[in-house]
Amino acid sequence: MGDRSARRDASALVLGLPRMHMEAGERRDFLPDVVTAADRAGAAAIVLEHGYGTGMGVPPEAYLAASPVARFAAYDEVMSSDVVAVIRCPAEPAMRAMRPGALLLTMLHYATRPRRTRLVAELGLRAISFDSVVDDLGRRQVEYLEAVGWNGVRLAFREIARVHPHFAHPSRRPLRVTCLGAGAVGAHAVRAATRYGDHDLRAELAANDVPGVEVTVADFDLTSHEDYLLGRLEMTDLLIDATQRLDPTRPVVRNPWIAALPPDAVLLDLAVDPYDFSIDPPRTKGIEGVPHGDLDRYVFAVDDAAWSELDGRVDTRERRLALSCYAWPGLEPLDCMRVYGRQIEPVLGVVLRVPVDRLDVDSTDPQERAVARAELGRWLS
Amino acid sequence: MTTLGLGLPRMHKEAGERRDFLPGILRAVADLDVRVVVEHGAGSAMGYTDADYFAVGPSVTIGSNAEAFAQDVVLTLRAPDRLDVMRPGAVLVSMLHFPTRPMRVARLLEFRLDAISLDLLTDDLGERLVVDGRDVAWNGLEAAFDVLERHWPEFAEPTRPPIRVTILGAGAIGKDAVEAATKYGNLDRAGRLAHLPGVEVTTIGRNLTGSAGYMKDRFSATDVLVDATQRRIPSHPVVPNTWLAYLPEHAVVCDLVVDPYLPHESPPTVRGIEGIPQGDLDRWAFAPDDPAWDDVLHEVDRTNRRWVVSCYSWPGVHPHECMELYGGQLAPLLRALLQAGGARGLTADGEFLERALWRASLRTWVGLHTVAV
Repeated sequence: MGDRSARRDASALVLGLPRMHMEAGERRDFLPDVVTAADRAGAAAIVLEHGYGTGMGVPPEAYLAASPVARFAAYDEVMSSDVVAVIRCPAEPAMRAMRPGALLLTMLHYATRPRRTRLVAELGLRAISFDSVVDDLGRRQVEYLEAVGWNGVRLAFREIARVHPHFAHPSRRPLRVTCLGAGAVGAHAVRAATRYGDHDLRAELAANDVPGVEVTVADFDLTSHEDYLLGRLEMTDLLIDATQRLDPTRPVVRNPWIAALPPDAVLLDLAVDPYDFSIDPPRTKGIEGVPHGDLDRYVFAVDDAAWSELDGRVDTRERRLALSCYAWPGLEPLDCMRVYGRQIEPVLGVVLRVPVDRLDVDSTDPQERAVARAELGRWLS
Repeated sequence: MTTLGLGLPRMHKEAGERRDFLPGILRAVADLDVRVVVEHGAGSAMGYTDADYFAVGPSVTIGSNAEAFAQDVVLTLRAPDRLDVMRPGAVLVSMLHFPTRPMRVARLLEFRLDAISLDLLTDDLGERLVVDGRDVAWNGLEAAFDVLERHWPEFAEPTRPPIRVTILGAGAIGKDAVEAATKYGNLDRAGRLAHLPGVEVTTIGRNLTGSAGYMKDRFSATDVLVDATQRRIPSHPVVPNTWLAYLPEHAVVCDLVVDPYLPHESPPTVRGIEGIPQGDLDRWAFAPDDPAWDDVLHEVDRTNRRWVVSCYSWPGVHPHECMELYGGQLAPLLRALLQAGGARGLTADGEFLERALWRASLRTWVGLHTVAV
């Protein structure tokens, strides 16, 4: 490490790693591996907010041991760094506290958050949106959709196990899962569902000759057929919304259709589209009526107040136990940040080496091309 | 430092093998101090000319197969049959499958070669970095639906019910097969048939595939049966030949696993679906009366037959798409390998690409395993 710090030049940048300051259940911070990677990439200093990592039980010493240029500081100082990296986008006041010209690395979702995108530009910030870092074939380089599928499915089966009288009995029939949507999230959900979202549980039940899980996927060319969909719902124990709707103003499963499900069926919202009545026509969830959860609260019994707390224009008359979480990967924070850390290492390698103005989408370096595609200026132009 | 030589020889396998690395991968190393020798005719089966490779930069020359193999780093997708054409100390970068090809490992060592096995390139979390599982699924399902569309009159009937696909196995390939199946294995076909009820895809894992009663019912409601299993015991089929009789007459069996019959191994390996023939890039669709069924080992039960699609190398069915993908995946790794000066320069604690290369190198494999030479 000593050799690396001796090689740093005058143009080296300071990397700030702030905490997220979201709901109490949001415990994620990057792990010390990211500090090591930033050090290796030549950061002049790595400034972490006091308390960084404590939500996951990572002690401050682990970060300090990862680099000789790492140190802890207050939030404001961290946000004044040359480069600020954080998974969930900071709130508006925090962005306003950043220095014009500084680089923000975060999940900005340019396409679906136009107001926020404009604000970042108006503040004079530079930005790389993690969700827009894609390789030459258009595949996202920073994503953990696998955790969306697995975390949601695992918790849904825990609820089914709680209410199903013969869940672990060899005499029960195979459980039937219907997954709406066959995209990336749906594919992970299917794989997880064949295993109850839990390898240990699957092994335990298989050892006792308990029949497994049959997972049926229906894409939009089937879900748009009402008769088919209602017939499918009648034989469904777990209904998963993993859709990517072209028209988010129309649900895939209208609230009255939930009545077709068996009384003990469970609804799992992996798409986590929000309700939004501030625009016309308003946006709704794929399964109409399901409450919108977060890391503090993601399981909703049929009598949970969250159903009634939704905007009165949402039809919630038909209900089943439902699960929904805005940040499914955050339920396993260590696992999640281990994955994100590995994925952002090459991004840090590029931004700490190449000035943001010189990022080149035609570079001979594929990693630089991927990062350049995610730069705010390119999106705006 | 001496300028490294990079060679791109062609594969010279079955006639249907049209793949070569595309010129694009060379652009990733064009600014390095590397001289490149591309075998004459590379890419010609996909419409490329020598000039396309030559145009990448002044470091690229066109040469013979022997000249391409004589370089310091030799890149070829499928493992070459001959290793004696390489120089001792050179690095072979290819799909080498060290774990299942001990004889190949022994020969690499015998010829004092270094090697990077493309199938062992993984990130720190074990995810493969050079892999085309998606095209295995899409190309296989495309072939299955081609057959179904050609031979099942009800396929395009507006009154038909949804087509029912059953996928055995929910591993990496099974996961991709789900999406491919919902789109008839081909987006153009999905668009053309958008007015019809679509495809209902049901996936089951090994906690159901062992239940004969369940499988009988499932097979009778299946139009396309997909084998995407990863068997723990390859000496036992997942689907005994007798179960094929439960499938409707028009059903198509789609073999994505393509395990071979290896009767003389101990224990012997049989195919996941008992009795079906194995295809390659020259031929992958087999009717129930195709003579290929009779070529299956006589001790294997092949009494019950349906249309089968099977190909040893599904990604090669659409060679350009396949090599574009591999090229994109491999480009940064190739660059890192050349920047490190070859396999000798790799370390376990380098940057993430270097770590991946180190894990996939022959010297690391040999260091971790006892290898008989």
